[in-house]
Amino acid sequence: MLSYSANVWRFRYFWGSLVRMDIRTRYRGSWLGAGWSLLHPLAMSAAMCLVFHKLFGMSVEDYLPRLIAGMVFWQFLSTCAIAGCNCLTNGEAYLRQVPAPMAIYPLRTTLAAAFHLGIAFAVVLVGNAMINGVKDPASVLALFPMLPLLLLFGWSLAVLAGFAHAYFPDMHHLIEIGMQMLFYATPIIYTPEILRDRGMGWLLDINPLASLVEVVRLPLLGRGMPDPASYLTAGGLILITTSLAVLTLNRLERKVIFQL
Amino acid sequence: MASLTLENVDLTFRVRRNRRTPLKDVVVQRLTGRGGQNPLMEVHSLRNISAHFEDGARIGIVGHNGAGKSTLLKMLAGVYPPSAGVRTVEGRISGLFDLTLGFEPHGTGRDNIRYRGYLLGETPQSLKPKMESIVDFAEIGDFIDTPVRYYSSGMLVRLGFSIATAIDPEILLMDECFSAGDRAFQRKAADRLNEMMKKARLIVMVSHDIGLLQRLSDRVLWLDHGRIRRDGPAKDVIAEYVDFMNSPASGGAGAAVGKAA
Repeated sequence: MLSYSANVWRFRYFWGSLVRMDIRTRYRGSWLGAGWSLLHPLAMSAAMCLVFHKLFGMSVEDYLPRLIAGMVFWQFLSTCAIAGCNCLTNGEAYLRQVPAPMAIYPLRTTLAAAFHLGIAFAVVLVGNAMINGVKDPASVLALFPMLPLLLLFGWSLAVLAGFAHAYFPDMHHLIEIGMQMLFYATPIIYTPEILRDRGMGWLLDINPLASLVEVVRLPLLGRGMPDPASYLTAGGLILITTSLAVLTLNRLERKVIFQL
Repeated sequence: MASLTLENVDLTFRVRRNRRTPLKDVVVQRLTGRGGQNPLMEVHSLRNISAHFEDGARIGIVGHNGAGKSTLLKMLAGVYPPSAGVRTVEGRISGLFDLTLGFEPHGTGRDNIRYRGYLLGETPQSLKPKMESIVDFAEIGDFIDTPVRYYSSGMLVRLGFSIATAIDPEILLMDECFSAGDRAFQRKAADRLNEMMKKARLIVMVSHDIGLLQRLSDRVLWLDHGRIRRDGPAKDVIAEYVDFMNSPASGGAGAAVGKAA
C-alpha cells in the first residue's frame, strides 16, 4: 500500500495539472466563475429558507447559515459520487496507454470538487461570523482535522462510483437517485430536532451521514464541539468506505480495463 | 540494463456481445433465471507466449490482422495484465500507441504537451527545456495556445507524435506510428524516430510495412492467432512470412505484402 501511494505520488504532476485544468475550466479563469458555482447552493438555500421561515417560523439568522453549510457539504459529496461515475471513462485514453495507478482518476474528480468546497466553506465561515458572530471560537479549530478526512471520504465515493459505473452502465442513474434520497434522509434542509420531535429520530440513528454532516457543520459555524458519538459514527463511516475503495482497487484495478 | 520477459503468457478477454450489461438486466436475469441476450464470450487473444528481449534488441512483430500484435504490445506495456503467466520488466517503458487519443479538448496545445509529458514520466523541470522544440516540431504555429478541440486531425497527429518522441525512453514500444502527417512531415518524423531508436535500449515495433521492419529490426516475431509461429532473425522470418502470405494457403491475402517487401 505504501508503494502504491508512492506510485500515485510519482504521477503527481500528471493529475495535479489535470485538476488545475478542471478548476480553470469550471471557473473560466475568473472569480465571477467561482461566484456562479456558489450561486447554486446559495439560491437554493435562500428559497428554502424563505419557505421554512414562513412554514415553521425558523429564524433566518440561525437557519440560513446552517442550511448553506449543509448544502455545500452535500454538493461536495454528490459531485464525488455522481461525477465520480465518469472518472474512469474520462481517463480511458490515458489508462489505455500508460499503466498508471487507477486511484489517480477518482482523485482528479475529488480534488477539483474539494477546491470548490474549500472556497464555499471559507465563504460560509466568514459570512456566518459576520451575521451571528462566533459563539465558540475554539470549536472552529475542530473543522480542520475533518478536511483531510472529508477528502478521503469523497475520494472513496468516487472510486466506488467509478468502478461501479465501469461495470454497470446504468449505475449513474442509481447513484443519482440514491444521493437524492440520502439528501432528504440527512438533516440538511431540516434540523435534527424537527425529526426527534416527530418521533423520527431513528432516521438519524441509522444514517451515519447525519453524524458526518454534524461534525463538519457545528465547527464550521462555531456552534460548539460535536459529541464524541457523532465523531465515532462519522469516523466509522469513512473507515468503511475507504476500506471498500482500497479493496475495490486491489481487486479490480488491473481488470477494469476489459470493461471499458 | 533494460529487459522484457514473458513466460507462458496468456491473455483472455471476457467480452459481452453488446458491450456492457446494465445492472437492471443482471437483476432481471437472476430473477427470471433466463440467460438474456448478451452472453459472455471468451476471446483468447494471446496464447502461451514466451519471449525474452534484452538491451540492444530491435524487435519487429508481424502477423495478419487480428493476430494479436497490438494486444501483445499493450501487454508488454503493462496496460493489459496477463490472464496467466508472468511478465517481468526492467527499465522505463514508453509506448507510442493511439497518438491522437487522450487529449484534453479544453486544454491548449501547450497544456496538452504538459499532461502527456507528465503522464510519460516527465517533470516540470525536465519538460521545460524541451517545450519549445516540441512546439516547433509539431508545426502548429500560433494555434499552440488554442484549445485542441479546434485542431484538425493532422495537427493532432503531429502534436501527439511530437510529444511522444520528445522523451528519452529506455524501452520503446511502437504501434504503426510511422505514418504521421503529410509527406514532408513523414520524412521529418522518420528522422526523429531514427534518432530516438538510436537512443532507446530496447525497441519492439508493430507494423504492416514489411520493408520498414526489415530495415529497422534484427529479430522478428510472427504472430498467428495469438501464438508465436516463428521467432528468429528478421530476414528469415520475414521471408517466410511473405512466402506464406503469397501462398494459396493464406487465401491470397498477401499480394499487397509481397509488393511492400
